[in-house]
Amino acid sequence: MANSSPITARLPGSDSIFRKTLPNSGTFLAYPNPTSPAVYFRGYLPVGSLSDPEGKNGLSNLHAAMLSTGTQKHEFRQLHTLIESCGASISISSGYLSTVFSGQCLKEDLPLILGILLEMLSQPTFPQAHFERLQQQLATIFKIQLQDTEEMASQAFDRLYYRGHPYAHPEIGYPHTVPAITREDLQTFHTETFGPNGLVVAFAGGMDSEKTADLFEQVFSSWSVPHQKVQADLPSWQPHGEALREHIVIPEKSQSDLIIGTSAPTGMRGDYQVCALGNSILGQFGMMGRIGESVRERSGLAYYAGSSLEVGLGPSCWKVTAGVNPDNLEKAMGKIKEELKRFINEPVTQEELSDVKEQALGHVPLSLESNVGIVRFLLSLQRFELSLDYLRELPAILEAVSAEDILASAQKHWELDRLVITSAGRAL
Amino acid sequence: MQFKGTRTYTGKEMEDTIARTGGYSNALTSPDWTTYFHTLPNSALEIALRFESDRMINSLYEPEEVETERTVILSEREGNENDPQFLLAEAVQLASFSQHPYRNEVLGSTEDLLSLTRDDLYNHYRNYYQPSNALLCLAGSFDVDSTLALIKQYFEPIENREPIRSIPTPENEIISAQSVELQGPDEADYIHITWRSPQANNPEFFAYTLIESILSGPSSLSMFGSGGIGNRSSRFYRELVENQMVASVYGSLSASIDPGTFSLNLTCRGDHSPEEVIERIDQVVDQFLTHGPTTEELTIALKQARANFAYSSDNITNQAFWLGYAHSFADYNWFTDYVKRLEQVSTEDILRVARLYLDPAHRVTGVYRNREMFANG
Repeated sequence: MANSSPITARLPGSDSIFRKTLPNSGTFLAYPNPTSPAVYFRGYLPVGSLSDPEGKNGLSNLHAAMLSTGTQKHEFRQLHTLIESCGASISISSGYLSTVFSGQCLKEDLPLILGILLEMLSQPTFPQAHFERLQQQLATIFKIQLQDTEEMASQAFDRLYYRGHPYAHPEIGYPHTVPAITREDLQTFHTETFGPNGLVVAFAGGMDSEKTADLFEQVFSSWSVPHQKVQADLPSWQPHGEALREHIVIPEKSQSDLIIGTSAPTGMRGDYQVCALGNSILGQFGMMGRIGESVRERSGLAYYAGSSLEVGLGPSCWKVTAGVNPDNLEKAMGKIKEELKRFINEPVTQEELSDVKEQALGHVPLSLESNVGIVRFLLSLQRFELSLDYLRELPAILEAVSAEDILASAQKHWELDRLVITSAGRAL
Repeated sequence: MQFKGTRTYTGKEMEDTIARTGGYSNALTSPDWTTYFHTLPNSALEIALRFESDRMINSLYEPEEVETERTVILSEREGNENDPQFLLAEAVQLASFSQHPYRNEVLGSTEDLLSLTRDDLYNHYRNYYQPSNALLCLAGSFDVDSTLALIKQYFEPIENREPIRSIPTPENEIISAQSVELQGPDEADYIHITWRSPQANNPEFFAYTLIESILSGPSSLSMFGSGGIGNRSSRFYRELVENQMVASVYGSLSASIDPGTFSLNLTCRGDHSPEEVIERIDQVVDQFLTHGPTTEELTIALKQARANFAYSSDNITNQAFWLGYAHSFADYNWFTDYVKRLEQVSTEDILRVARLYLDPAHRVTGVYRNREMFANG
C-alpha cells in the first residue's frame, strides 16, 4: 500500500512522471526540474557485448566508441565542434546488454543535440583513420590495465565468478580479440543488430516533458531498421559450487586490491530490498558499515573496505572490496570473514535495522536533487519493471523487512565455503 | 582525525546520525582550505550545525586513534602510489614551486605521515579551527531567519582566537625550465607539464580560463554532480589525439589564492616518444602565441563557460561549495559574475596573458617512462 505522507506524496509518481510508448516498442520518460536551465538525458538500446561474435570480444564496445567518430553529415571535427560549441556533451558506451547514450545541454540547444545524437546512432561512417586510432588507444588501455590492481582483481573475479557465462568476459574485450575486429565487422554489426527497437530514454531538467516527447519522436521518426536482429536472451547461469581463489601478481605495487564475492538477487525482484538493507549494515552505513568499522576504523588496515550489492538483469553478485597494504592482505581477509560469519550467524540488531531503513528513505529526496539523479531513477523504473509509484510504495516495502529476513537472505547468499576471492598486487 | 570523536560525540555517533537522515557528509582538503560538508534533508539541518560547532572546539585526537588513522592514511597514499600519474604529478608539483606550500602533495609524504605526532595535529587544529577563520555556507530550502538564529545559537558561544598564520610568499613565475624524469614498471609513458597560472582574483585569471578552454578544453565547475564538456574540439586534442600521437590529453586550471599551475596530462601510446609529443605541444603553444585565438574559438569558449556555469547549479551541494570556494580567494561575486567577466576578455588580453605565462623557458616538464623502454633508450 502506498504511503500517503506529505513527503512521499511529493516524490515522483504516476501523477508526475511522464511516460510514453514510442514506435518500435520504445519508451520515453521525463520528469521536469523547472529551476534547471539545462537538460540531461540518458537512454539505451538493447544491444551490447552479449552480441559480440566468438573471438571478437570487444566488438560492441568498439562499435559504441566509433559512433562518435563521424556521420554521413559531419566528419569527426565538425561533429565535435558542433556539440562542444554549444557547451553540450554526448557520450555513447556499451555494456553487456545494452548500448547506453547520454548527454547534457542548455535547454535551448536540445533540438540540435537530439539531431546530432540521431546522426551518431543511425548514420555512422566508421572512418578508417579513427578506427585505427581507437584500436591503438585500446592497446594502450590494455597495457595500463595490466598494472591496475583494482582492474585486475575485478577482471579475475568476473572470470571466476561468471565462468561459462558472457559476464565472465570484460566488455572492452581482450588484447588478442580487439585487433581481430575489422571495420567490416563494425558495419555488419551496425546494419544487422543496431536500431531503434526497444529504445528507452529518460529526460530531466528545465524542459517541458510533453513537448520534449514530441520533439524526440519527431527527430527519431526517420530512424527505422525493419529487419533489426533481436539480441539473444542471456544464457542461464548457476552459481559455482566451490570456493575459488586467485591472486594476480603485479610487482612493485604499494597496495593490493581484494574482492570477496557471492551471489545476489537478479534485478530488484525477490529478496533484493532485504539484501540491500543487509548490505548497508554489512558494508555501507556510516563509515562503510560493519566491514569498515572492523577493517578501517578499529584495525587501520585499509583506506577503503566496504560492500556493494550489484543490481542488474541476469546473474549478479554481492561483493566485499578492500584496498590494503600487501603485508596486511591476509589479516584484512580474516577480519572480513569474521564479519561475514557474524552476518550469517546472528540477526542484525533492531537498532541497525532501524538505522538503515531511515537512511534508505531519507536518501530518496536527496538522490533526486540533480538531473542526473532523476534520470537514473527513471531508467531504473523501466529497466527493472517497477511501478511509477515505486518511491511512494518504498516505505511500506522497507517497513516489512525484519532482522530475520536479513539473516535468511544472508545465509542464502553468503555461503562461506563457496566464496570467490580474488586479489591483485605484490606476490603473496 | 576530525571524524574520530569529540568530548560530546564519538566519531561513530556522528557518522551514524548523519547516515540515518539519508544524507552524507565528508571533508575535502585543498592546498588553500579544508571544507566539511553535509548534504541532508532540510529537517536535519540542525544536526549538521550541532556537529560542526562541536567539532570546531571539542575534537579529542586520542593518541590511539591517531595511530589507527595514520595507517589508514598511509593506506590511502599507497593506493595513490599504485597510479604512476599520481607519482608524476606529485614530482612535477614539487618542482613547480621553490618554497611555496603549493609544492606539497595535500595528502603528505610517507615520511611526514610516519613522523607527525599527535601534538602536531592537535596544535594545528587548535590554531586554525577558530570562528574567525571559518566560513559557513548553506544552499537549499530553509528559512533564513530561523536558520540564522540556529547558527548564532551554536557558533556564537565559541571563544575566538586569531590563528597564528604563516603567510607564504607567492611565486609569480617558474624561475627556469625544469625536467622531471621517473621510471617504473607501467607499460605506458605519461607526460605532465605545468605552467604558472595567476591567482584567481587576478583579472588575468579570466583570460587564462579561456586559454585553457581553447587549448585543452574547459574545466568543469561541478565539483559535485554531473560532468562537464568534452575536449575533442580543443587544439591539443586535435593535434595530439586526433593525429594519433597520444591516447589522451587533459588540462587542468584551478582557482587558487596564490599563483598556481595550469597542468597538462597526457598518456602516450608507445609509437611516439615523449620527446616527439613535447615537441608537438611546443608547436601548438607557439602557434597560439603567434596568432592568438580565432573569433570562432573565443565564441565557443564563452558558450562553454555559460553552459558549465548552468551545470554547476544543478545541485545544492555544488551551489554551497561555490559560495565558500569563491570566498576563499575573492567573494561570491567572483562566481556570480564569472560569465560576465569572461565576456569582457578581449583577443588581445588572451594573447598578452598567454605570452606571459605559457613560456617554455618557465615551465616544468615531467615524463614517466616504462622501465623497459627506458632501459632500451
